[in-house]
Amino acid sequence: MAAVFVLLAATLLYQLASHPDSLTLSLGPRFARTLYWTTVQATISTALSILVGTLLAWALSYRTRFAGRGVYIALLSSAMVLPTLVIALGIVTVLGRSGWINEALQWLEFSPFEPFIFGLSGIVLAHVYFNASYVARTLLGRFESIPVEQRKLTRSLGLNAWQRFKMIELPSVSGTLPGVSITIFLLCFTSFSIVLMLGGSPKYNTLEVSIYEAIKLDFDLGRALGLALTQLSICAVLIILASRLRKDNRLISAPTANRYQLKDPVMLTGIQYIVIVLFGLIFLLPLTAVVIDGMSASFIKLAGDKNFLLALSTSLVIALLSTVLVLFSSVLIAIAYATLATQQRLANNRISQPLLKLLRFSSTLYLAVPSLVLGLGFFLLARGVGGAQILWAVIALLTSNVLMVLPFAIAALAPAMVKCANRYDKLAFSLGLKRWNRWRLIESSLVKPELIYIASLAFCLSLGDLGVIALFGNQDFITLPWLLFQKMGSYRTDEAAGIALIMLAITLAVFLLLPRLFAGKLIKTEKAHHAKA
Amino acid sequence: MLRLENVRFRYSGSDTTYDFSMQVAAGEITCISGRSGSGKSTLLDLIAGFLKPVDGSLTWRDINFTQLPPDKRPVTTVFQQHNLFEHRDAIDNVVVGINPKIPKKGRDAELAESVLASVGLQDFIHTRVNLLSGGQQQRVAIARAILRDSGVILLDEPFSALDQQTRADMLHLVRTLATEKARAVIMVTHDLRDCEAIADSHYEIEHGQLHKRVV
Amino acid sequence: MFNSTLTNASRFGRAVKQAIALGLAFAVPATAVAADKTLTIYTYDAFAADWGPAPGIEKAFEETCECDVQFIATDSSIGALRKVQLEGDQTKADIVLGLDTNIAEAARETGLFIEHNADSSGLTLPTGEWTDNTFLPFDYSYFAFVYNKENVAEPPTSFEALMAMPDDFKIVIQDPRSSTPGLGLLLWVQEVYGDKAMDVWKRLAPKIVTVTKGWSDAYGLFLKDEADMVLSYTTSPAYHDIAEDDQRFASAAFDEGHYLQIEVAAIVGSTKNKQLAQEFMQFMLSDTVQDIIPTTNWVYPATTTEKGIPKGFEKLHLPETSLLIDGVEVEKNRARWIDQWVETLGQ
Repeated sequence: MAAVFVLLAATLLYQLASHPDSLTLSLGPRFARTLYWTTVQATISTALSILVGTLLAWALSYRTRFAGRGVYIALLSSAMVLPTLVIALGIVTVLGRSGWINEALQWLEFSPFEPFIFGLSGIVLAHVYFNASYVARTLLGRFESIPVEQRKLTRSLGLNAWQRFKMIELPSVSGTLPGVSITIFLLCFTSFSIVLMLGGSPKYNTLEVSIYEAIKLDFDLGRALGLALTQLSICAVLIILASRLRKDNRLISAPTANRYQLKDPVMLTGIQYIVIVLFGLIFLLPLTAVVIDGMSASFIKLAGDKNFLLALSTSLVIALLSTVLVLFSSVLIAIAYATLATQQRLANNRISQPLLKLLRFSSTLYLAVPSLVLGLGFFLLARGVGGAQILWAVIALLTSNVLMVLPFAIAALAPAMVKCANRYDKLAFSLGLKRWNRWRLIESSLVKPELIYIASLAFCLSLGDLGVIALFGNQDFITLPWLLFQKMGSYRTDEAAGIALIMLAITLAVFLLLPRLFAGKLIKTEKAHHAKA
Repeated sequence: MLRLENVRFRYSGSDTTYDFSMQVAAGEITCISGRSGSGKSTLLDLIAGFLKPVDGSLTWRDINFTQLPPDKRPVTTVFQQHNLFEHRDAIDNVVVGINPKIPKKGRDAELAESVLASVGLQDFIHTRVNLLSGGQQQRVAIARAILRDSGVILLDEPFSALDQQTRADMLHLVRTLATEKARAVIMVTHDLRDCEAIADSHYEIEHGQLHKRVV
Repeated sequence: MFNSTLTNASRFGRAVKQAIALGLAFAVPATAVAADKTLTIYTYDAFAADWGPAPGIEKAFEETCECDVQFIATDSSIGALRKVQLEGDQTKADIVLGLDTNIAEAARETGLFIEHNADSSGLTLPTGEWTDNTFLPFDYSYFAFVYNKENVAEPPTSFEALMAMPDDFKIVIQDPRSSTPGLGLLLWVQEVYGDKAMDVWKRLAPKIVTVTKGWSDAYGLFLKDEADMVLSYTTSPAYHDIAEDDQRFASAAFDEGHYLQIEVAAIVGSTKNKQLAQEFMQFMLSDTVQDIIPTTNWVYPATTTEKGIPKGFEKLHLPETSLLIDGVEVEKNRARWIDQWVETLGQ
């Protein structure tokens, strides 16, 4: 991992050094305003995402038995891997000036609403769409692990819903919320494709989009670098602040399989179902729009399109490679983490403490590395060094994919690793199990569900991302999102819709079915474990 | 007198039908035993109102409370664990039993303070409960049960995690509580020694029904 | 201190460079396969599209040249220029096609382009004779707002009228930094209003649904009814009329006159096929290409061909006043005007 950083830094520095005349670091005239709007946008997006997500998680944690709950929650978890462009397309179809909602309103003889999907409201809407689902999914796990005795207790004490929320739900997520908020803030702060598509005017550009414009529109590399370094420092400061805020997370008992649905007043139940249904609709409509629009596309024509086939195979190969790389690096990081934590536990080692902190810090910092700048570095390096552009494009794409997924991978892996440590550290010490041996014997089987999750996450995110490819894409090297972006741009609507549907189908299939395919095996190994125990 | 008359219940998707009948007089301690999964928790949930029976009736002092929600019932439960809001101090955890707004001052707070003192926690009133020992934590839960002044107290294996000496102290506390405050206490346990130590009567759950055993 | 860091970095950079180059020498088999000559042309998406002029031109030229013509699409024509700049010496482009006279000076200043030496005497542009030996025109049209007659009964007849429309009257325009129509509109307003241009933009701002990167996204949004008018060309309605037999579309005639766009092509200096590229440039002015352009790119041809302008074009609004700012003048002010524009819209 350190190597990646060194390479990145070297690339940037090398570029700086090799263009002493043409490059003057600058921020551009609109920097202050861009920073202001980016901050405003990210703050609103984060606040709304947390609010909506918490409300939904709260409703779902109370309503534990309704038809389709499993599917509902599975869809929520898939939100973060849905291709942003595809969803943005769906949102326009549903909420555009001539979108479904407006048509319905007109049909019902209400006056249609003003278009709002471009500009700040559009950006915020799309961000909330993705991130509220993420919040809901994360918090639901927390809420569900609240011991049922506590729920019974609050009811027998006659606390109302708000008092209950304050007494048990809020404390159960107080350790999680700062981390989740900062992650979402960083995602919105560095948002790219949503802002590019729904931004409306230069007013709401994020720093990331300004970097893109500096490179692609004005060809001002000095400004691009200046903006990139600024974004990097701001995000780094935020992450440091957040890590200070973050309280030590008290371990909560594992979710009980017993999905207890306690009786509640009709009012409360009603409100909860309204929240669930309403969000479900908001969530499903754009997906449905993508499916319906996509159905009308001619897949036979698409299957004969050599560009499409090229993009499809490129995307699948890239996604697969990224998955392998992500798994490999997150396992390495996890082992390093476990080893360091063990050292820390055994003897208050002076080196392991800061190393641990650095490891934790850097895993979040990837969120702040603008993938465009990474791409630019590689692009310029390619220009300087020579060699096949396509090779550089692949390297740049893989690197940015790995960096994009790692924060989530580590967030998923860390709690499982801590659990392993709590359970097996003493045994491992007494048997002298270390590093790879320990991993093979203990973690590899215990964190398998997390690894499968990480794999599907890596695959889907890599498949759907439009970032670096925006710089590298050309006739010979296209990915599905890039092709989609182009088709959307050239108003090949039906083809775009077809590609969007295919991307959606692949993503959902991989994300929802893959873990289930492996689940059978898992139960067996789990049982074997119990039998041994 | 707490009276259960053919209180019947069935989990959806399960074959077992529970059918509970029993009586517990005020000031008495009744002990419930049974194998894991026999229905001990189901019985307590039915009395506390977390489950709704198919039919049958629950009465306390001849008042039927079968249809009341948990917080309106004359019942307080002390669980084996998770009785307390861990991030709050002892007095908050007690006063919440009579006032959900958790006042820091006034009559309710004073009452809570005196009850805490009566269970021997006068030195820990403002201590966060997760810093207390297991026995002290259960004392806080019992203090709340006392303060709530409900006639029926349900104890769901409340002392199984405690050491021998603490356990004896707690049993003594429960005995005093039942007798002095005239509460009907139902205590679920799988340690028959607890029954022998303090119970006035003993039921065992088998095949979904209560069978009276000789103490 | 900083200097020494830089030197070290560059030394390190050189080391990396050598190491990687060495690695590549083994890893990548030589890609320079000596096949037929390939002529690579960077252009904007709509030109290269299946339904654009590129496929027909490609086919016609390949019949005569014994070469392979490849059109590479970018999201906009300025995007094509930036791509060549980014790729530097590595670029595969032999020709960049689709810039216009407004951006030509900027392109000239990059020093990337060389002379075309084509015979331009056949040109019949509204501006008269053509003398530029770097950039060669191949078509032209006038910028205009296009609307759907069914949705807009009374289109605005001037910028003043447009500004006076209610705010729920929405237009979609392009970014002047990436798209030639976007830049064209900026210059159009500039030419009509001079120093007061930014006041005009301030009043237009609430009517702008969104600013897109290229012409195609904007036109797409317009066809999806996301806006009442789109910035396009006076010749755009011809597409709907001729290709789709759909007479609903028209361009709004503005009293102030319409800004002229002359699209040009140029040869990239690093080309290894200079002669072939020059042949292609001349070919762009042949009747073959000039007859393809009107019904694929939906603009006026740059020469008068034997067949003449296709039927249906005569129905179009032909502006009485055509506006055009001199290229050098544009280049002197472009950066400043764009900054002001971004500043005005970004408030």
